[in-house]
Amino acid sequence: MRLVAAELVESREILPGQWIQSFHAPELASGSRAGQFVHVRTGDYSGLVLRRPFSINTADPATGIITLHFRTVGRGTEWMTRVREGERIDMLGPLGRPFEVDPRSHNLLLVAGGLGMAGVRMLVDEAVRAGRGVTILFGALSASHVYPSSLLPDEVEYIVATDDGSLGHRGYVTELVPEYEAWADQAFACGPQAMLKRLAALAAGRRERLGVAKLGRKRGGPTDPLGSAAARRKSFLQVSMEQTMGCAVGACLGCTIIGVDGPQRVCREGPVFAADEVSWEAIP
Amino acid sequence: MTSRKKAARSPAVGRARIPTGSAAIADLEVAAVTRPSMSEREALDRIDLSVDIAPERGLLLPNPILVASGTFGYGVEYGEVVDVQRIGAICCKGTTLRPRAGNQPPRVTETPGGMLNSIGLQNPGVDAVIDKYGPIWQGWKVPVIVNIAGESIEDYVEVARRLDGVPGVAGIELNISCPNVGKGGLQFAIDRDAARAVTAAVRRATELPLLVKLSPNVSDVRPIAKAIEEAGADAICAINTLSGLAVSADRTRAFLGNTYGGLSGPAIKPVALRIVYEVAQVVSIPIVAIGGVTNLDDVLDFLACGAMAVQVGTAIFADPELPVRLGDELRAECLRRGLASYKPLIGTALPKKTGAASAKGAEYRP
Repeated sequence: MRLVAAELVESREILPGQWIQSFHAPELASGSRAGQFVHVRTGDYSGLVLRRPFSINTADPATGIITLHFRTVGRGTEWMTRVREGERIDMLGPLGRPFEVDPRSHNLLLVAGGLGMAGVRMLVDEAVRAGRGVTILFGALSASHVYPSSLLPDEVEYIVATDDGSLGHRGYVTELVPEYEAWADQAFACGPQAMLKRLAALAAGRRERLGVAKLGRKRGGPTDPLGSAAARRKSFLQVSMEQTMGCAVGACLGCTIIGVDGPQRVCREGPVFAADEVSWEAIP
Repeated sequence: MTSRKKAARSPAVGRARIPTGSAAIADLEVAAVTRPSMSEREALDRIDLSVDIAPERGLLLPNPILVASGTFGYGVEYGEVVDVQRIGAICCKGTTLRPRAGNQPPRVTETPGGMLNSIGLQNPGVDAVIDKYGPIWQGWKVPVIVNIAGESIEDYVEVARRLDGVPGVAGIELNISCPNVGKGGLQFAIDRDAARAVTAAVRRATELPLLVKLSPNVSDVRPIAKAIEEAGADAICAINTLSGLAVSADRTRAFLGNTYGGLSGPAIKPVALRIVYEVAQVVSIPIVAIGGVTNLDDVLDFLACGAMAVQVGTAIFADPELPVRLGDELRAECLRRGLASYKPLIGTALPKKTGAASAKGAEYRP
């Protein structure tokens, strides 16, 4: 974690109201892992007193470039679209804990809803580089909100669902998951809380449906503590959670979600959680 | 001698000679600081920013820029990006007798020029805080002031008793003004007799320097401040957050899980200034100002209204280096004005006649 002056290199609107911006920030590009985020300071402090958290969309250590993918939803993101190439903006990062991929996992199922693509996009690159099979299930309102396939590596399978059926499967992206649950060794998701909650319910019943025997240590033996990297690595589903955020370093306790072990800070214990760490009943 | 005369002509120094009721600002010594032979670095080092905010018991801070409770955790969270040892003092997250899970999320949201929070005093309890952070604080140069909260006077007293004598704990900030918890907190800050009772009880329980943090959510803060002073507090911190509300995007409910939140940030600075200004005229113990400090001008404004030190809070989230930088900037400001200490900057905006409290501003009070 450090404060970095990231220079805007390129800014483009990939979809109506959705932007991908590239920043030259070698410290962030080489020091971050998929699932982590940066806390961006927007201009005009007197009006906008909080930084904005963004998942690191992609990071390329070779060029020192990171990208952020966001939708203009308010004054902070609108300010970002007005930053000009060559200008530097203040980023704090990399922050939070990353996705943990089991080294034995061959096939990864990535589920993204809308802007949730930004939460798993870097994992796509990491998995492809490691030679794993990747299927992305992507859900959006309509065709005009669908993440362009041209921005994904050729190696991945990309399946789209839209609420209105204007592209791909008509309905929720979670309806596509059962088809892939046998193929996938692990699943990683980012998107609306209702989507994550549905995925968690699906993941909880997966073993029984597939008749998978619980392998590994005998019952009663040592287990990895809930929330540890090792425990997350062994879980089938990991989710990247979102919450309004204050400091992003764990000091203010503003960004908590309710976990099975009590309040969890999205900025420190998260933003990635194993699905069984989250108290889903507390989420509407 | 010539430079002393020169310094005495500067308007800031002239104003500072007006008595303001605060004992420590009697220290108006102005020394020669701009000798040509001295490099600027040496001159800066010679400026005295140290301040004792609890003169009777001794709570000497290296500089008057503190970080406010709830915005800096236990001092360790920002350690990777900030040199915490250069901060005047750290007020740690509100600590209670027993662990508290805090309020339902969401707990923070941005508002025009500020933010609302409703953390609800999430903390692991005083014993865990002492065990986990006491040894760390003990090794630090920066004083740590533990902010304590409770549901009853007995709670406050017990927390204070357990902190008494713990190495690494430099003082106690009594949080009688948290707007985000149902029981306790605010009720002690809105009633003069309750404020007096809790302050006096904690005073009897500990020899630690005792700061009491005022709530702005009252019609007149002055009798409460006076009662707190009479009950034996070493200093008064003003202000805590203002109670506020935000609405969810679909307008079907309040946004925050706890419905209400505390407003902080630049939006509340005028309120904080008004309260510091009022309190400074009725008490003689030091005042530590809090509320929307984001730059040196804000610090100077609060000093001018009678604060002896200033806490930085919400602004840390956007600018973690701000507290350290403000110390440096205050030092440079003193050099620029030819002051050997920042103390002459205190109280310069207060009414020039002491004695009867000013009635000015009362007509604007809601």
